[in-house]
Amino acid sequence: MSGIIEARKLCKVYRRGREEIQALKNVDFSVEAGEFVSIIGPSGSGKTALLNMFGCLDTPSSGSLRLNGTEIAGQKERDLVRLRRENIGFVFQQFYLMPTLTARENIELPLLFSKKNGSKKRIDEVLQMVGLADRGDHLPGQLSGGEMQRVAIGRALINDPKIVLADEPTGNLDSATSEMIFGLFSELNKRGLTLVVVTHNLDLARRAEKMYTLRDGRIVSCEERACLDGI
Amino acid sequence: MNFFSLAAKNLQRRKGRTMLTVLGVAIAISVLFSLLALNSGYEKELSKEVNSLGVHILAVPKGCPYEAASLIMHGGVIPKYLSDSDYRNVSTIPGVELATPMLMHQFMKKDEKTGVSTPHIIYGINMEEMRKLKPWWTAEGRFFSDNETGVMLVGRGLADKENLSLGQVLPVGPKKENFTIVGILDRTGDQDDQFHFFPLKEAQRVFNKQGMITTIAVKVRDVSRIAAVSQEMEKIPDIQVVTMTQIMGTIMNLAGSARSLLLTVIAIALIISAFGIINTLLMSVNERTREFGMMKAIGASGLDIGKMVLAETVFITLSGGILGTVAAVVGSSIIESFVKGMLPYSPGGSLISYSPELVGFALAFSVLLGLVCGIYPAVKSSRLSPMEAIRGGAE
Repeated sequence: MSGIIEARKLCKVYRRGREEIQALKNVDFSVEAGEFVSIIGPSGSGKTALLNMFGCLDTPSSGSLRLNGTEIAGQKERDLVRLRRENIGFVFQQFYLMPTLTARENIELPLLFSKKNGSKKRIDEVLQMVGLADRGDHLPGQLSGGEMQRVAIGRALINDPKIVLADEPTGNLDSATSEMIFGLFSELNKRGLTLVVVTHNLDLARRAEKMYTLRDGRIVSCEERACLDGI
Repeated sequence: MNFFSLAAKNLQRRKGRTMLTVLGVAIAISVLFSLLALNSGYEKELSKEVNSLGVHILAVPKGCPYEAASLIMHGGVIPKYLSDSDYRNVSTIPGVELATPMLMHQFMKKDEKTGVSTPHIIYGINMEEMRKLKPWWTAEGRFFSDNETGVMLVGRGLADKENLSLGQVLPVGPKKENFTIVGILDRTGDQDDQFHFFPLKEAQRVFNKQGMITTIAVKVRDVSRIAAVSQEMEKIPDIQVVTMTQIMGTIMNLAGSARSLLLTVIAIALIISAFGIINTLLMSVNERTREFGMMKAIGASGLDIGKMVLAETVFITLSGGILGTVAAVVGSSIIESFVKGMLPYSPGGSLISYSPELVGFALAFSVLLGLVCGIYPAVKSSRLSPMEAIRGGAE
């Protein structure tokens, strides 16, 4: 059975002036539906480039990348937007919440773009899911770092995506809050959500079912939960 | 939530900058709105003033230009005269419903307290005919009859200014003959408020202008025949014919150059304001690349981002438009006195005339200004690659 994300010989080359930077070199990668996958690696190893491609924010220079059965390479911007809306939820290290919108409105924001009617009930459900049922009317400035990241996770979930991609979601949080965020990810994964998380935090990365290690644009290892538990 | 409410909340993040931009637009729209209101009010007042004459055609002495005709209309005196026979000839032209002769005379009156001399206008008229031309005339006291002597009527404005009252006797003419005020004309809102009215024969006698008249005012039976009647009148050798439309045109031309100057000032204000808006938006777009990247990541298309930026621009310009329009209405008296000083001729009434259409135009113009100014920043932001945006903003 093919995975919800299937990458074959994926390459990405960036050009900065005359310089060519090979961010990804022949990467093979597979994520099954409902899997919790983490990607680790040093800075500049290509983790974020890979995640951006999974999220249809970028297209491969060569190779193949299939998202939920659709080939990403060669797609037009308009189709990439549609694929992203229907399949992907994004969580960033810096949260990127709109400071003048309440937690509830920040969560609602993707509905404005997907033209879906956001019922109050659905937003309440998501607030409940991320543990912020009583904080919906607070502005980001009135929330803690962990709460802000939970709002960002809520925002990623509102469109009911098949996959949530998180780029260093605990990079700006203390260890206790990071633990809580990963607990939330595990919870969501148990409900059937596919999760791909890029992190520097090895302890947290090991809580995923599968852990890929990237170095210099190549996958250097892929460890399954059974192995991870044994470490 | 919609794009407009999102735009409004986004603008709250940069309150100072937004307020300054809104203020810039408000000033430009306020000046634009005032000028348009003034233009419409000026034409309306002028037309009202011309209509208040109750005449369609003025016959003036030959060689008298339109400008002089418009002076006559407001009590100006020219050193050329028509004769009683001209008046009789005009009266017999087919299509003329009523023709009435008038003699205008101007004298300077020195204020005893201040020592300043001001011009006073005397209108010698046939009251019976004049009341047919101006059926809306009413007076405190009474109107005089055409054969009376030593009587006069004064306009309400003049009476108030000079503290004149019924029964008061004023010395008039070179021989300082006594004339009694028998009536004070009720306020008309036009130039008649400022005149002295004498029986025509008395005015001719007092100022030694026997048989002379300054102008003949003509009312035609059918307004569509004004041109034909004018042609007939021009056949009389001494007469030059001026229609009210020509007089209005002449005054509008005189005012035209002043209006062109104001329009240029407004155009410059609008251009400066437009560049201010574009600059603010571009700064804002450059500062928010990461945010736009995030929005694309959570499902926004380039078009959505562009729409949001445009909505922000329209919000700024529409707010400026509303503020500017309100300011123009509130400060209309200041604007009016400033503009009146710049115009070569101003009708008596209020020059500024607002209409719902004008308010609609000012607001629609402010929206258009927003759309024009917002296009470049909107296109620029919509074309940002989401990844570059997120990465670029993080640097």
